[in-house]
Amino acid sequence: MRHLKAWLGIGLTVAALVAAALAPWLAPHDPFRADFVQSLKPPGTPGHPLGTDQLGRDLLARVLHGARLALFIGVCTVLITALVGGTLGLLAGFVERWPAAVLMRIADVQLSFPFILLALTINAIVGLGLRNIILSLSAAGWVVYARVVRGEVLSVKQRDYVQAAAALGNGRARLLFRHVLPNVAPSIIVVASLQFSSFIVAEAAISFLGFGIQPPTPAWGSMLSESRDFLYVAWWLAAFPGAALALTALGVNLLGDWLRDTLDPKLRV
Amino acid sequence: MRRTNVLLATVLALSLVDAPPAVTQDRVKTKEIVVGLGAEPRTMLGVTIVDWTTNNMLEHIYDRLLDRDAKTLKPKPMLATAWKLVNETTWEFTLRQGVKFHNGEPFNAQSVKATFDYMLDPATKSHYATAAYWKPLKEVQIVNDYTVRLVTEKPYPSLIDHASLTDLLLLPAKALKELGPQKLNERPIGTGPFKFVEWKRDERLVLERNPDYWQGPADVSRVTFRFVPEFSARLAALLSGEIDVMKDVPPHVVEAVDRSGRAKVRATVSSRINYLALLNLKPGPMQDVRVRRAMNHAVDVDELVAQVLKGRATKMCGPLAPTNVDYAPVDCYKHDPARAVALFKEAGVDPTKLALTLDTPSGRYPLDKDVSLAIAAQLQRLGIKTNVVVNEWGTHLDKIKNRNTGDMFFLGWGPALHGQGTIEPLFKAEATYSSYGNNKVLDEKIAKAVTIVDAKVRAAAYAELQKLVHDEAPWVFLWQQHDLYGVASHIEWTPRADEKVWMYDAKIVAR
Amino acid sequence: MRAYIASRLVQTALVVFLSLTAVFGMVRLGGDPVLLFMPMDIQAKDVNEFRQRLGFNDPLPVQYGRFVAGAVRGDFGESLRYRRDALGLVLERLPATLLLAGTSFLLTLVVAIPLGVVSAVRRNSLLDHLGTVVTVLGQATPGFWLGLMLIYAFSVKLRWLPTGGTGTFLHLVMPSIVLAAFFSARIARLTRSAVLDVLGEEYILTARAKGLGEGRVVGKHTLRNAAIPIVTLAGLEAGQILGGAVITETIFAWPGLGRLTVQALLNRDFPVVLAAVFLISVMYTLINLSVDLVYGWLDPRVRLRT
Repeated sequence: MRHLKAWLGIGLTVAALVAAALAPWLAPHDPFRADFVQSLKPPGTPGHPLGTDQLGRDLLARVLHGARLALFIGVCTVLITALVGGTLGLLAGFVERWPAAVLMRIADVQLSFPFILLALTINAIVGLGLRNIILSLSAAGWVVYARVVRGEVLSVKQRDYVQAAAALGNGRARLLFRHVLPNVAPSIIVVASLQFSSFIVAEAAISFLGFGIQPPTPAWGSMLSESRDFLYVAWWLAAFPGAALALTALGVNLLGDWLRDTLDPKLRV
Repeated sequence: MRRTNVLLATVLALSLVDAPPAVTQDRVKTKEIVVGLGAEPRTMLGVTIVDWTTNNMLEHIYDRLLDRDAKTLKPKPMLATAWKLVNETTWEFTLRQGVKFHNGEPFNAQSVKATFDYMLDPATKSHYATAAYWKPLKEVQIVNDYTVRLVTEKPYPSLIDHASLTDLLLLPAKALKELGPQKLNERPIGTGPFKFVEWKRDERLVLERNPDYWQGPADVSRVTFRFVPEFSARLAALLSGEIDVMKDVPPHVVEAVDRSGRAKVRATVSSRINYLALLNLKPGPMQDVRVRRAMNHAVDVDELVAQVLKGRATKMCGPLAPTNVDYAPVDCYKHDPARAVALFKEAGVDPTKLALTLDTPSGRYPLDKDVSLAIAAQLQRLGIKTNVVVNEWGTHLDKIKNRNTGDMFFLGWGPALHGQGTIEPLFKAEATYSSYGNNKVLDEKIAKAVTIVDAKVRAAAYAELQKLVHDEAPWVFLWQQHDLYGVASHIEWTPRADEKVWMYDAKIVAR
Repeated sequence: MRAYIASRLVQTALVVFLSLTAVFGMVRLGGDPVLLFMPMDIQAKDVNEFRQRLGFNDPLPVQYGRFVAGAVRGDFGESLRYRRDALGLVLERLPATLLLAGTSFLLTLVVAIPLGVVSAVRRNSLLDHLGTVVTVLGQATPGFWLGLMLIYAFSVKLRWLPTGGTGTFLHLVMPSIVLAAFFSARIARLTRSAVLDVLGEEYILTARAKGLGEGRVVGKHTLRNAAIPIVTLAGLEAGQILGGAVITETIFAWPGLGRLTVQALLNRDFPVVLAAVFLISVMYTLINLSVDLVYGWLDPRVRLRT
């Protein structure tokens, strides 16, 4: 059963990766080509297995190409935020004293804007588009790592074996890498896999509020957001990008679970 | 997990027990109408803020000097029974007698004077005290209790157009003096067919019928404006019977609404126009008139209307639409790719090497973004690469104002009911949202046309202007929007071209 | 302890001040605030006159100084759009937002923590797997989409619940479920992970070896120790729920703070944006302060130091 979940996770993630890598070859059409006569055709229409959108663009092609963008957004933002947030959190928890206080206050300033509002404010200033979405999501997302990791570090540091190691005269760096890092790694991975999907979803939310990625670029979030105008006439416009988003998120999360279980020293028993 | 189930069950059980009453039925009996709008009003005071949503609600409370005919949109009497030109700069209005404000105060010349005094007071910071509205006014003279004269600095023929728009909602003189604007803003007093009941911020504005209305009481006893920002939720509220009237049903959904059995779509040709500006105010290919004309031949407007808008638009050939009082017909640019290519060649432009940028808003006008993408697809057929940039509305306006858009941008304009209101702000280089200008001939003719008082001379001047603008091709001329309203089946109401959701005209018919 | 709280409160004031400064800078980079609330046929001369009158032509430092001078007295100026006291507008929306956020937060805790604990204790059971799938899907569903689907099902088709607005308990059902769905997923997952962590610790193994009942092991030893990361996230989420409310309030026409703030942002109604940021950051930092205090209570080894 446990392996089933792991395999499912790997399978879905690989599927998303394959879709992203091979989109131009897998897609039956150019995702940008509009064909007005063929607009809003339901799934199963010859030549358009998933149907078409309001401009007659092939939905399958758009969903496949969307995988590229989704993975790109997810990977970029997760890497940036985990690296920045995780490092700062480790330092803040480990160093304590005033640098920690300063860091956590900066985190507080950052946090005093709700995530979505911050991303919106940034996008309202720097404009719309892929790079700016990644920028604003990253700027808004690093704090979660910092807080969670710091909380973990504070707790781990007090544990007997860590205290003992410190008493034995182990250097700080050694403590950090030998004891603290392995203990917080699982948290980072869980948070990262959570964040990954929530970043893709956040892109949808930002699109909903009018600050999305530039059309005609096929992003799942923007497609989902646009689909609401056609909710009562073309369910497929909401269903397929939504399913793609959900399955990818499921895959990444299961993969994260599996990684976490394998990495966690205590669970290796 | 079990607790989740318990919770869900509780929620479901509660919702079954507490099921809301069949509210639609109740409303039919009590003759109430609920109108769904996207935003709440910005003020309750007339002549303060220019804003469609706000004024649409305020017009139910306040009357104007002149009204517009629902069909022809020509000015007609309202609180003024007659008007005439005394000399080039003086208009005389005869006021209706026996009209009372909701507080019992009589309407007379003092009300008109007090309204203008309030509006033009710098402390009011009224949008109407600006050049495009009432700044040209020099003074208000009271001839007697029921006669006023409006005197302008220069001949101002658009005065009648303004007096019949929402630009002159008349306030009660005595109440304004005694209570002050602040109090009136909390409980507005007008002469209109409905009286203010309550305004729950971000939720609803409730009005009740004024039984003593001078045109006779409305059929509707109560009008509630509910503020639902999200369009699809508004549509859901219409389909579930929570609201009775909503504006801007998207063309694709018309059939679904008609099939629902709860509401029908009522459509009208709007006075609001949509156009694709070809920017000559900054360097680029659009500075050449031949390129602009080629663009008009390259874009297939009929196809856009039929395929993207599902026929819900009326093609235009020049800058003004037939609903505009100053409209004159002009020839159409025909869709003709060969002619377009020839014109591009003549201008020394190779269309297959041409890369253009098109700025568009999203969700501001019917299918605006999709239309822009479709135009890009059409231009692609000639080998022109078009980069469509979608802007958030505020950014879009900023870019237009700072002439920072690409070579083209999409915009709507309206309610466009008189020529000056379209031609002066859109074709002069110094105008805020203009895309075209620095044409000496045009500038002179505009400056002259806006001061002509005589109807015949004015018509000729505007006809000449429209011909000139058409030949200059500052836009790809697109269309008049069709306004699509979802209206509950038990309500009889005909939409108007000036976008007013005017519930005085609505009737409740029991099914 | 008292000194700790006092110093944190001073820091809070600092944080709020810095937030406001950051936002002030950011919104003023974002373009002309005057245009958006003026009619489109306005002439450039008149726009400039309005800008002058409202002080937007002054150098930025002067505007900032004026803003700070007002803000310390609780005066954030007049809303550009509504011409009413900005802070008043914001405060007016607060009760509706608190009601919605509170309900959702409660719902989140009641659903997510038991789900997470059970998933961890019965690890690899069918329940655990189901829990994973459900929570991940909850996470991967954009709030607006879930909201619109619920409206379609329960308002348009079944006609059980109102599409939006406030008034009765029924009006609260769908918005709070939508708002809770996203956060439940996160909290349930983190709870599971944290409980699993603790279950692997030696003292739990010891407790089990001593023959303590499973209920006591989980209830007493595990939960208390797993609580730190959960409380951290819950604290963060409590704040984020206010942000998530932006979407929920928009969909369900809920007259709250999030909807007002995002509209103000779109309309460049800066006084309102700043007043809202002020209020939100005050609430945030206070929530975070309480989270840190709860740490100390949960785990006395965590010394409260600034």
